[in-house]
Amino acid sequence: MTDMASDVTPSVSDDTGGRPGTVSRRVLLLVVLAIVLLLPLAPFAAYNYVLQLATVALMWVALASSWNIIGGYASYISLGHNVFFGIGGYTSGLALVYLGFSPFLTALVAGLVALVFGLFVGLITLRAKGPTFIVATIAMLFVVGLLFDNWELVGASSGMSLPLPPFSVDVVKVPFYYAMAASAVGAIFLSHRVAHSKFGLGLRALSQDETKAEVAGINTRWYKVIAVALSAFFIGTAGATWGYSLSYLRPTIFFTIGVAAQMVLSAIIGGRATVAGPVVGALLIVGINEFAIVQFGATELNIVVTGVILLAVLLFFPLGIVGSLREAGRLPAFLDWD
Amino acid sequence: MTEIIQVLVLGLLLGGVYALMASGLTLLFGVMRIVNLAHAAFIIVAAYIAFYAFDLFQIDPLISVLITMPVMFVLGLAVYLPLFPRIESSARYTEMTVLMTFGLALVMEGLLGFFFTGIFRSTRPPYATDAILWADLFIPTGQLLATGVSALLLIGLWLFLRYTRTGTAVRATMQNRTSAQIVGVNVRRISAISFGLGMALAGASGSLLSYLFPFFPAQHWRWVALLLALIVLGGLGSLKGAVIGAVSLAVASAFVTNQLGPDWSPMTFYLALFIILLVRPQGLFGKALRI
Amino acid sequence: MALLEIDDVTAGYGVGPDILTGISLEVNAGRSYCIVGPNGAGKSTLLKVVCGILHPRSGEVRLNGIRVSGLRPDQLLAEGICFVPQEQSLFPEMTVRENLVMGAFLVRDRAVVNERMVRVFELFPLLKDRVSQLAGTLSGGEQQMVVLGRALMVDPKVLMIDEPSLGLAPIVADQIFATIQGFSALGITVILVEQNARRGLESTEWGIVLDLGTKRFEGPAEGILDDPRIRELYLGAALSKGDDE
Repeated sequence: MTDMASDVTPSVSDDTGGRPGTVSRRVLLLVVLAIVLLLPLAPFAAYNYVLQLATVALMWVALASSWNIIGGYASYISLGHNVFFGIGGYTSGLALVYLGFSPFLTALVAGLVALVFGLFVGLITLRAKGPTFIVATIAMLFVVGLLFDNWELVGASSGMSLPLPPFSVDVVKVPFYYAMAASAVGAIFLSHRVAHSKFGLGLRALSQDETKAEVAGINTRWYKVIAVALSAFFIGTAGATWGYSLSYLRPTIFFTIGVAAQMVLSAIIGGRATVAGPVVGALLIVGINEFAIVQFGATELNIVVTGVILLAVLLFFPLGIVGSLREAGRLPAFLDWD
Repeated sequence: MTEIIQVLVLGLLLGGVYALMASGLTLLFGVMRIVNLAHAAFIIVAAYIAFYAFDLFQIDPLISVLITMPVMFVLGLAVYLPLFPRIESSARYTEMTVLMTFGLALVMEGLLGFFFTGIFRSTRPPYATDAILWADLFIPTGQLLATGVSALLLIGLWLFLRYTRTGTAVRATMQNRTSAQIVGVNVRRISAISFGLGMALAGASGSLLSYLFPFFPAQHWRWVALLLALIVLGGLGSLKGAVIGAVSLAVASAFVTNQLGPDWSPMTFYLALFIILLVRPQGLFGKALRI
Repeated sequence: MALLEIDDVTAGYGVGPDILTGISLEVNAGRSYCIVGPNGAGKSTLLKVVCGILHPRSGEVRLNGIRVSGLRPDQLLAEGICFVPQEQSLFPEMTVRENLVMGAFLVRDRAVVNERMVRVFELFPLLKDRVSQLAGTLSGGEQQMVVLGRALMVDPKVLMIDEPSLGLAPIVADQIFATIQGFSALGITVILVEQNARRGLESTEWGIVLDLGTKRFEGPAEGILDDPRIRELYLGAALSKGDDE
């Protein structure tokens, strides 16, 4: 392993065992992937509950990993990114109700619609930098939420029901699980590809110093817009899947700040600007929430805990779990996906 | 014609209150570059204080301003000192303040919800439902009094900034922090004082809010989105811009409500924000930001 | 004893690398100094350490034998150490008058403040005409005068000026340097940082050459100007640029 290799690749920590890191890491990841794929085939107790929890976890993995593309690599914090979640959900929902197409088929279309909307959103909100951008994303969320709240075609604030999926109760969770897993894997894959591309390098450059990046010839405006658009895709597909799984669409499911909060928090706790970070963070938050609900019931204290965790991470571990571990040179190989 | 003036008057009265709310937010950004996503949460905390002052001790909301302002000033310091000076030297400071205040807002919302539940609250002083009829115009007394208090406080703020030594130091810090330092201003102390002051203004806003609008913990998001859009329009860090932005947007939204109904009035603020972003991203009175 | 002692100071910004390494310097009362050197040598950083904006990572700064490194800028100002930064340092939305008054922020006695303002107007008669104008609307040279005038309002013992002629037309820069030379006559210890090494060294008594965070040479300003080796090694670009203008 020459010095040049370590200069070119983003910091890959050599784990202390001295094993050839890449090989065992690949094996571990394949094992994880296998578990994910085969989970529904295992006959365990509380089957529906576990599958549902896993589906939710995968959803947040998809959301956080996607958000990371603009919020992590480019460091443009969007607090309204769940617009795409709702756009995806409603697109597929409408296609189902009015055209009869199953969201399992139209999820990709929903993702595309979200992506196009992302271009549009990006072009407007990215006129601003820094805090103004963040404010613009919040406003965008509220505007879209408001529009859906008043749009009769989709039932306005009362929402609309979706036809139930054509599966028996015993196995109905399974297709949703796989659909969400597809979104999650897709989002992680996209995040990884972006991180290892010239595009991703450009995003990182502009996150450090936008002026210098401009001067170096990077069209920062387009880079950012495309980042927003890309990040929208799997958020849209996840939204399509989620809406269908609830058999009900309502603005408050998609367009509340709470959803944005969890997306952002997951990425930050796990470690922004890393591939594994948002995954770790998403799983952790879902786990903590579930634990809290089981122990204490669904109270407002959950929100308090979320806030406290965010503050603690920002003050003491701003790089997040994966980021801090990597900084300290103690990142286990199976978490180093960069 | 009378209808137009009527709507205009209602808008102006509303604008007065928005201006007070936005002024605190602007002060925080102007002096310390803090984008306080929790500002409305603080306002609602103050509203609860006013509510219980009214409910338990029959203290009139307008009088409660004398309570909420100092209480929120102290609360502000208690929140500011352990959290914000620590992150002052971080690379992406303003972004950090956004995330931190976001977390703060979540904590406050959760605590408020836990202790007070999500029931809509409102204080009900007699003037809340009164109105003055003057030359065919219907002027709600509650709003009028609120705008009066607002105006008094804003004038007080202006006098403080213009004529007192500390106020001048605050202005200097807002205009050029490093220069203020080298001229002998203790910018750390000024920052803390400004934060407390911003919170005191939020406190007064809360007292007014308590009878003007029904409130509940999760409502702060709606307010903060509005206020942020407003100060971006006015120009971040410009008090003049905040006041003008508040009044003009309130009037505009009054007309929107009049024509399309109350559901659409928040849209005015957001649309105005997007328009300003396209036309003049630094806002009406802001300087071009170098972030 | 020297007025100001900079003792083996190492400093940098945030978590970044050391900009200054092991700098030691002695500044004597009433003299004028010019720090020169290539870009990135750490000249501005040195001034920032002395005035308290930046704290040294190791080493100390002493004023009259007493350690002052680690104090806040406003505390150091109270001791008479005044810094005029490179970046725009006016209060743009305040008038010239208000800017000058801000200069004497630490002075409570109105009479003293007015006295000093009179003195500043004597040195900079142009400012008297612009007293009520918003400082942000003045020309570059006028703004620099306000900044220097404001510095005088403190009645400084040590006046540190970072790039006084930056962005100014040569004629205006000449005026500024002449004014700075006048400060020495008032008994103020002056430390300049100048990219335009020639002008800087011509206006001061003692020169210090910094490069890559260390002190390479110090000696009488004239000597540095005349020494061809130093010119070539450290000041080549700066000097020839000055000559062309």
